[in-house]
Amino acid sequence: MTTRTMGEPVARREDPRLLSGQGRFLDDLGHDALGVAFVRSPHAHARVVDIDVTSALDVDGLVAIYTYDDLTDRLAEPLPLLIPHPSLTHGRTPYALAKDEVNHVGEAVAMVVAADRYVAEDACDRIRVTYEPRPAVVGIDNARAATHLVHDDVPGNVAAHMVQETGDARAAIDAAPHVLALDLDVERSASTPLEGKGVYARWDADDRSLRVYTSTQASTSVRAAIAAKLDLPPDRVEVVTPDVGGGFGVKIVHPWPEEVLVPWAAIRLGREVKWVEDRREHFVSSAHERGQLQHVRVGFDDDGRLLGLDVRFWHDNGAYTPYGIIVPIVTSTQLLGPYKPGAYRVEFESLYTNTVLVTPYRGAGRPQGCFAMERTMDAIAAYLGIDRAEVRQRNFIQPGEMPYDLGLTFQDGRPLIYDSGDYPASLEKLKKLVGWDDFDACREQARAEGRRVGIGLACYVEGTGVGPYEGGWVKVETDGSVVVATGLTTQGQGHQTAFAQVAADVLGVPLDRVTVTTGDTRRFRYAVGTFASRALVMSGNAIAAAARKVREKALRIAGEALEADPRDLEIVEGVVRVRGVPTSSIPLSTVAVLSNPLRYAFDAESARATQFATAADPDRPPVAEGEEPGLEATGYYSPPRATFANGMHAAVVETDLQTAEIKVLRYCVVHDCGTLVNPRIVEGQVHGGVAQGVGGALYERMVYDSDGQLLNASFMDFLMPYASEVPKIEIDHLETPSPLNPLGVKGAGEAGVIPGMAVFASAISDAEGFAITRMPISPSELFDLRRQHEEDTAR
Amino acid sequence: MKVSGTAVLHAPRDKVWAALNDPAVLVRTIPGCQQLEQVGPDAYRATVTAGVASIKGTYSGDVRLSDQTEPDSFVMHASGAGPPGTVSADVRVTLADADDGATRLEYDADAIVGGVIGGVGQRMLAGVAKKTAGEFFSAVDDVLTGRADLAPIAPTAAGPAGASAAAAPAVYTAPQRQRQAVPVGVVLGAVVVGALIALAGVLIGWLIAS
Repeated sequence: MTTRTMGEPVARREDPRLLSGQGRFLDDLGHDALGVAFVRSPHAHARVVDIDVTSALDVDGLVAIYTYDDLTDRLAEPLPLLIPHPSLTHGRTPYALAKDEVNHVGEAVAMVVAADRYVAEDACDRIRVTYEPRPAVVGIDNARAATHLVHDDVPGNVAAHMVQETGDARAAIDAAPHVLALDLDVERSASTPLEGKGVYARWDADDRSLRVYTSTQASTSVRAAIAAKLDLPPDRVEVVTPDVGGGFGVKIVHPWPEEVLVPWAAIRLGREVKWVEDRREHFVSSAHERGQLQHVRVGFDDDGRLLGLDVRFWHDNGAYTPYGIIVPIVTSTQLLGPYKPGAYRVEFESLYTNTVLVTPYRGAGRPQGCFAMERTMDAIAAYLGIDRAEVRQRNFIQPGEMPYDLGLTFQDGRPLIYDSGDYPASLEKLKKLVGWDDFDACREQARAEGRRVGIGLACYVEGTGVGPYEGGWVKVETDGSVVVATGLTTQGQGHQTAFAQVAADVLGVPLDRVTVTTGDTRRFRYAVGTFASRALVMSGNAIAAAARKVREKALRIAGEALEADPRDLEIVEGVVRVRGVPTSSIPLSTVAVLSNPLRYAFDAESARATQFATAADPDRPPVAEGEEPGLEATGYYSPPRATFANGMHAAVVETDLQTAEIKVLRYCVVHDCGTLVNPRIVEGQVHGGVAQGVGGALYERMVYDSDGQLLNASFMDFLMPYASEVPKIEIDHLETPSPLNPLGVKGAGEAGVIPGMAVFASAISDAEGFAITRMPISPSELFDLRRQHEEDTAR
Repeated sequence: MKVSGTAVLHAPRDKVWAALNDPAVLVRTIPGCQQLEQVGPDAYRATVTAGVASIKGTYSGDVRLSDQTEPDSFVMHASGAGPPGTVSADVRVTLADADDGATRLEYDADAIVGGVIGGVGQRMLAGVAKKTAGEFFSAVDDVLTGRADLAPIAPTAAGPAGASAAAAPAVYTAPQRQRQAVPVGVVLGAVVVGALIALAGVLIGWLIAS
């Protein structure tokens, strides 16, 4: 029997290459390409009065300097608004190079192409830009006050205003026996992948074709954008994604200014051109996320059951809205988690500020939503004196109620309907894993020892695998190896392993015979991208569909060769054989040979497919009608709507009585992403997500001053957790398969990060005895909160 | 960024006032100042060289004085740009009589620091700014107390040859200095702001070294 690898913790096949320095990232390419550097705005908000390049012109090695005035045709238009929405009434996108005005520190004003990056930077230093600074709008409060405007033609700084309601939430709350109100605050953070963005372009003037390498999460769409912006036939543009050193959402935005400017310069100059983002550029000119202010009103009964939930929040979308309002939509819908809210009303404003634009970062609005809902659950528990886990349990959607329609519209424009999940079972597992019911004794014992510890929990539901579609292509070569291609990209998720497992399992071939290509438009032409924890759901099912077609064809051809009914055949270790008659068999490699009738031989295998070598029926065409040569097929998967994974996290923290330092003692995860293809990869994804959750809760924030200067634009001052700050993560799995797709899988990529802020807020509140309402939290902030709490209680 | 501090200068208020409004004194006391060009009443253009080791840059900026209430207070507006970034600042300076005929100077600066230094060096900026300001006042004090070379600096006429001497602005060029006022060169405006740019040089040095 072929060893089935589906569901097995197979080691990641890409790791030996990546861990031994054999990775091929953007900056490993194009060593001889011209280098690019940008002059970027030092002001958060200013008119660009003049750009004087005179003293840069004599820099030795300078090739070109471009400003907005040099941009032509569609490149001179604003960059696309990728996801329009009726509620986004005032969507604004930047120009590839600033036209007249800059709206955040870091916005590109001029592009310099030179012999290398060093020379380009030197030339940048000599370009004098005269700005007329304008008042900067920084922070949600100032955006709401609208004393100053980010865009003169956007009243109130409001990009979008949206309301969704199911039932009459306000009436339900007013009629409820108990009502609570919470004000919550989440600060900015960002994806901060270790590899920033990067673009390398080469133009073949004879072939009139362009090849672009870019560190992206959406190569196929980048290709469409470049073709449109540069007015090239799409089939003359190839976009290839090399190894990508992390994306976490920021690289789903496209085209970045550099993704159109670098190819444009390559064409104009007839030279290879490359730009690689440096760290500071990434901080000030890519994208951030998270920042929201929230106001929650909730009505509930004596048992803590929700009767009505009314949420208003204000979302800081930064200077522009190229990715639409996906993040606040996700917050507003995914906030509900595993609970039945009773009547629900959510209203948000998405607001412009003179800061770096805001687009999805792993979790994409869910961490904020989870924070709002879980803080509310804890508040209800505290108010009624009920166990926090019990309050959640009482509000869960029950397994028997699946599929559950929440009566809202999700981020994919489809109804928000949960497909499956067993929340009570997940909670039971979590309580057992962390020892929830015994913790009161632990807390008391610690207190007796002069230590302060607390436990928290948080639950979330995550819509994953949104459409519209992905495709997969599978081919069996004449040596029996299998090649797989899919258009979406890889940023370290282990697609070489998981996708290969899917194909190997369907085709009955050993895993090591399968190779996978992702994110290369030369290899697969239709794709959407890697976001929303969708790769396995979408491409996994597409590859499975393609592999099933290949298998069918292989069995049909083998059946003819073996004079057997294809239904009696199986494929084991790459050999097609009659079930129960192992001697009656034919290798898949031979089937591949037979699938492609040949006139010319070039090796022993191909000789077997030539016209005098086969005993084919002389009255039938060598390739039957309706057939195609080759043992290959393409398959697509397009779901009716998203599938909903879920998870529950618990954390135990200790807060230092003197210094208020917050130490994570335990971190437990129960995770349900449907059928597991590779538990090791899923756990790795959860680990990475939890690490970012720890960062988002305890360390990471984007510190802007009132003038719109980002004060901590380096890893010296932006604190990313090290391994020393990330706790040991204990994981238990539940597998409730998705009924929506043949593999039964749900996404897992973002899961780990979602409840981070909520679970730490819960645990710290438990330790301290007062509610934490603002995240992230530093020791000094906790120290101040303690003093404030002492003052308040002394009164 | 807000920076404030005090300095005691060993001369009466009117002398301190005069020194702080005398380009010939400023050009020799502002750390790193190469040239101070008077471009109007109470308005100057400063050229400052800053750098660490082999990394050097020349910065230019404008300094304007306003709200002068002699000899009590004035406000200095400074703005400038160089490769590592931009600085603009409003600095309020007040003078008060101190013991023994000395003058107590208080400064209160509100600066916007943009570009690389804004994002990379914030936690250092206030400290370095105060240090550089201290060095500046110390240098001014040396002039006031006669510890520093008092050789007069005569302004030279700038502008193209043939231009009317009366119309040409006065340009004050710093004498060759015996000591470098600060390890890093620097400065834009007079009092505090220059220090911020100085820091840019420090940071570039760090980036190169690391």
